[in-house]
Amino acid sequence: MKKQILLTALLLLTQVAYSERIDIIGAGASFPAPLITAMADSYRELTNQKVTVNYQSIGSGGGIRQFSEQTIMFGMTEAYLKDDIMESIEKKSGGKAFNMPITLADVVAVYNLPGIEKGLVLNGEVLTDIFSGKIKKWNDSRISKLNPKTKLPSLPITVVHRSDGSGTTNIWTSYLSSVSKEWAQKVGFATSVNWPVGIGAYGNEGVAGTVRNSPGSIGYVSFSYALLNKISYAYLVNSSGNTIKPSFSATTAAADIDLPEDTRALFTNTSAAKGYPVAGFTWMLVYENLDKNKAITNQNEAEELVKFLIWAITDGQELSESLGYAKLPQAAVKRNVAMIKQLKWENKPIGSQLIESSKLK
Amino acid sequence: MKTLRYRYILDRLFLSFLVINTIIVILPLLIMSSYVIVNGISALNLDLFTQELGSPTRAMQGQPTGLVHTMAGTLVVDIMALLFAIPVGLGTGILLSEYPDHILNPVLRIMNDTLNGMPAVLKGLLAFVLIVKPMGTFSGISGSAALAIVMLPIIARSTESALSIIPWSIREAGLALGLPRWRVVLSAIVPAARTGLITGFLIAFSRAAGEAAPLLFTSFGNNYLPKHWTGMFFGPVDTLPQRLYSLAISPYEHWHRMGWAAAIVLFGFVVISFVIAHLASGNNLQKKGNSR
Repeated sequence: MKKQILLTALLLLTQVAYSERIDIIGAGASFPAPLITAMADSYRELTNQKVTVNYQSIGSGGGIRQFSEQTIMFGMTEAYLKDDIMESIEKKSGGKAFNMPITLADVVAVYNLPGIEKGLVLNGEVLTDIFSGKIKKWNDSRISKLNPKTKLPSLPITVVHRSDGSGTTNIWTSYLSSVSKEWAQKVGFATSVNWPVGIGAYGNEGVAGTVRNSPGSIGYVSFSYALLNKISYAYLVNSSGNTIKPSFSATTAAADIDLPEDTRALFTNTSAAKGYPVAGFTWMLVYENLDKNKAITNQNEAEELVKFLIWAITDGQELSESLGYAKLPQAAVKRNVAMIKQLKWENKPIGSQLIESSKLK
Repeated sequence: MKTLRYRYILDRLFLSFLVINTIIVILPLLIMSSYVIVNGISALNLDLFTQELGSPTRAMQGQPTGLVHTMAGTLVVDIMALLFAIPVGLGTGILLSEYPDHILNPVLRIMNDTLNGMPAVLKGLLAFVLIVKPMGTFSGISGSAALAIVMLPIIARSTESALSIIPWSIREAGLALGLPRWRVVLSAIVPAARTGLITGFLIAFSRAAGEAAPLLFTSFGNNYLPKHWTGMFFGPVDTLPQRLYSLAISPYEHWHRMGWAAAIVLFGFVVISFVIAHLASGNNLQKKGNSR
């Protein structure tokens, strides 16, 4: 008898929690995972445990794949959807797939030069030549020209790159491609490329570890990684000729360009005068017809997803800098709002309704 | 003629060869486990066993964060996988050992070995296509199914060898009593082979408990406990091997330490299941020592 009462009580208790809570499931790029999970934590608190966002990092490729397989409510990627994927989704769901910028990825050149902890200046041409193996020594005249006050050692340069496929590599090589035609033709840009020189290391931590242990080496990692692990990073001369110290505001500034309506754009080697040149968006992928995504089972879930999305591009951005991410520029927020307004559930315009009731309008 | 001394020397040489080899086998395990314990012991605390993970900000700001959902999820997924795998694996093993002339056996044996050699990630993909896609969501059940496919060939093989060492006289005794063949298998052979069978289940279990790849696209992962206990079965679930990996590749120092702690927990989890199984099989070391 006692046992029965206990059991019913337990059942009731769990039932109550059950009816109230809504789980939003997303997956994709590993780079924004800390930010999205932190957003999830705050948002959970904000909604009194009602909405739980479950984000798992499975890589950009995995995010796109699961998004088109409709096993997740939103995807996350560091490379925007290619036209053929956009088309196939449009065919399947009768609506667009939206790429909504949620945060910015920035990649820095990290180096290990004893005695030069800070302030090494490099530019796109020099970096391309270093990564092509044309500049072989640190005291090369082209590097010292950029750093007249620094005494550079005559160490040989060791290039360290990623051995695994990665969004970081995508942004880095897209920068090298946009400053050098030769690089664009010979190597190009992708999540993994055929490196002309250098040694491979696995993951951000692998590149960072190798650079830290080998004097004379240069590699690239995401900015937050270099900050959190206190590795020296280079300042870069951007296309306007300004020397930019990597910073969150410089990254945000880089995206302050004329964005296309679907935000599918690269802005490495940005034309923005104060912008850091090696930066790109990280996008959240959402179906226009939310009801056509099999992972979303009812309107309630769809609405909570949209609400979370609105929160993530506004108040949620406040979490960015303490975690090592740059805030979205206003231009991107504006584009996002326009896209959110088109979101529908069974042809009901829930996106614009929710925008109306939010402070964004 | 060889002298007695020469024979003794030869014997000792052989024995020391065996001892050295055994040490070489055990040494990596010792190094590995001590390394894990040294690195992870400082992160072992009460929060680890009572709190949900949440985000890295929790860890950075010193708020309580832990892996209770991961441990619960691992228990549910692994035990459910074992429950899926035992009946099927046991059946296959019995067919292979007790019905050696059965027409299916040659094919079955090849298929079983092939399945055993297949990369675990493919088994995850199979579960993804068969369960996740039709269900429309990641789930604990699909993770269990993937792990069950990892366990299956191991259980089938170990069952076959455990049953085949039971002397034929026991089977003959059963048949002589007039029992049908299936009765003999269930009431005489299987109980007699109990220790061997449980050891087989265990090897399969601990092998599967360390797999992360088949769980990526099935049980998926979760930073929180599911909303309802049924969520352990029908929703995304966190598991130790997978969480360990994602903690290890994160840029956060605190999460790295938590990853080591997760490794200790996983390690302890496997050791405890070995101990339980030894007790359950009623054949602990002492008894073995006495009977010799």
